[in-house]
Amino acid sequence: MNGGHPAGPLARFLAWGTVFYLLLPITIVIPVSLTDQRYLSLPQEGLSLQHYARLLGSEAWLSAIGQSLWIALGATAVSVVAGTLCAIGCWRIGRRSSELVRVLMLLPLIIPSIVYAIGLYRWFGWLDLLDRLLGVTLAHGVTGIPYVVITVSTALAAFDPRLEQAARGMGASLGQTLRWVILPRIMPGILSGAIFAFIHSWDELVMVLFIASRQVVTLPRKIWDGINENLDPTMAAVAVLLILFTVLLLALDGAVRSRAGR
Amino acid sequence: MSAATREAPLAPRAGKGTGHALELRALSKRYGAFTAVDAVSLRVERGQFLTLLGPSGSGKTTILMAIAGFVAPSEGAVLLDGRDITALPPERRAFGMVFQGYALFPHMTVAENVAFPLRVRRLSRAEREAKVRAALDLVQLDRFADRRPAQLSGGQQQRVALARALVFDPDLLLLDEPLSALDKKLRAELQEELKALHRRVGRTFVNVTHDQEEALSLSDQVAILNHGRLVQMGAPAALYERPRTRFVADFLGTSNFLRGTVQEAGDPGLALQAGGTRLLQAGADLPPGSPVLLSLRPEKIALLGEAERAANEVAGTIAAWAYLGAGYSLTVRTADLGALRVALPAWRAPIAPSEGLPVRLGWAADAAVPVLEDADAA
Repeated sequence: MNGGHPAGPLARFLAWGTVFYLLLPITIVIPVSLTDQRYLSLPQEGLSLQHYARLLGSEAWLSAIGQSLWIALGATAVSVVAGTLCAIGCWRIGRRSSELVRVLMLLPLIIPSIVYAIGLYRWFGWLDLLDRLLGVTLAHGVTGIPYVVITVSTALAAFDPRLEQAARGMGASLGQTLRWVILPRIMPGILSGAIFAFIHSWDELVMVLFIASRQVVTLPRKIWDGINENLDPTMAAVAVLLILFTVLLLALDGAVRSRAGR
Repeated sequence: MSAATREAPLAPRAGKGTGHALELRALSKRYGAFTAVDAVSLRVERGQFLTLLGPSGSGKTTILMAIAGFVAPSEGAVLLDGRDITALPPERRAFGMVFQGYALFPHMTVAENVAFPLRVRRLSRAEREAKVRAALDLVQLDRFADRRPAQLSGGQQQRVALARALVFDPDLLLLDEPLSALDKKLRAELQEELKALHRRVGRTFVNVTHDQEEALSLSDQVAILNHGRLVQMGAPAALYERPRTRFVADFLGTSNFLRGTVQEAGDPGLALQAGGTRLLQAGADLPPGSPVLLSLRPEKIALLGEAERAANEVAGTIAAWAYLGAGYSLTVRTADLGALRVALPAWRAPIAPSEGLPVRLGWAADAAVPVLEDADAA
């Protein structure tokens, strides 16, 4: 915004205060990950990369990263397909009943995840999905749907419905219209939703605590266990890598959006 | 699509009668208690240019959407060459359509946009390219094939939309206010192009507009709609010269309305009493005592000189005037007929208008036309 009055000193102080308040707890792990000590602490005599080296040499940590990655990718696929189809369906029907469906789809976002996790535990027990990659992937995939529904619905709101009419008027079937007209136009929304669904699965802990135990150990779960069992600074190194990864994904989302805005 | 049309894509089809005939039978569309289209029946002959003209909310766009298949009629039928197509979905009708705002695909180039209907029909690449080139040639946009729609001007986008609507050789071309987004000068230019295009491709065109000038200049037939009903349909000149109702006379051009009562019916016409003035009106047959409403166009009223006489004469004073370049528009206040609009050519005008100037107006017995009050005029 140009040409307005500059913010007063109080407003600036509050704004910067909020920024620091948000970022400080995150940034504290960076020096901790570089500690030269053998326990979770700030560096005493010098900086060291030993914990990063330990992380990359550890079978358990690498396996957790690998499992998290596969689960997140699978979950993202589930969320994107279901969420996109749901958003397009609601948009096409365009009635009030579709509003209800959309609200229903947002439920996983609204309900406390611990409540959801208890329910899942029951169901997955019956379905024999406890402590399995497929179970965690499904759970994360379903709870990631709201992110995709929101971003795709937003993209569709900006989509000119006459483009669909034009395509169908020229003889395009529903499938062709979807493939050649609608999907290319809402692709930025889908990508954005995919990134959020991925991040959602990547750092989800509560459900994993309930529905996984020995076989499936995701990265957040491994960190959780690590904090409970020993205070190994390797966790700080993991945390820093997680932060970098998330920042990277958000930057990607920003790039997708700015390209779409062109 | 017939075999013959496949062989000659966009080839000039000489003369009329090569397109398809369209018929609407008692077409109605209701949204709850609101009737958008009320029992409209009309027929467009092969190769004709029909314009649906009406104010906003008159149902003209709903009718076009029903022809295209996007709106399912509540009652009535749409027939193409006598075949009932009411139940066909839009993709099976595949009429060429130019949307308001053009609805070009922003993520495709001009050539890809025009190729879209061909891609849908799974034509080979070579065939596609040849037809796209021919279509872009037709609208003189061959140099812009690789641009995106956003890089084109409004008039160019409009032509891309036309090329895309015509490239697959549709049975009908439907136009939804195709020129409304353009400025006045460009609109006039594209009107002529559209007319020439219609002559060249010889297809049946159905156009929707609220612009009466566009309707008059483009169309073979104009259907005037109001409140979802067809008020009158005919050739532009017939509609302008012989409006059936007050609405038509008022909507198409401008008109003065004179109210009177028949005194005598005889030769050469009716003698009317309008206030204290006696009027002579040709070409109507009504019994004495009946009320009459006359539509009198401003350009058919003349300013009379000292010695000039006319079948109808009335004196008044100029209440307001405006100079319009080609002519003057005068408002003359008269004692018996109220305020009359008069159009006067500006070049060698007999008077220099000024407010309060007394004038004598005159018009021939066949200058005015008796019209009906509209049923829903209230």
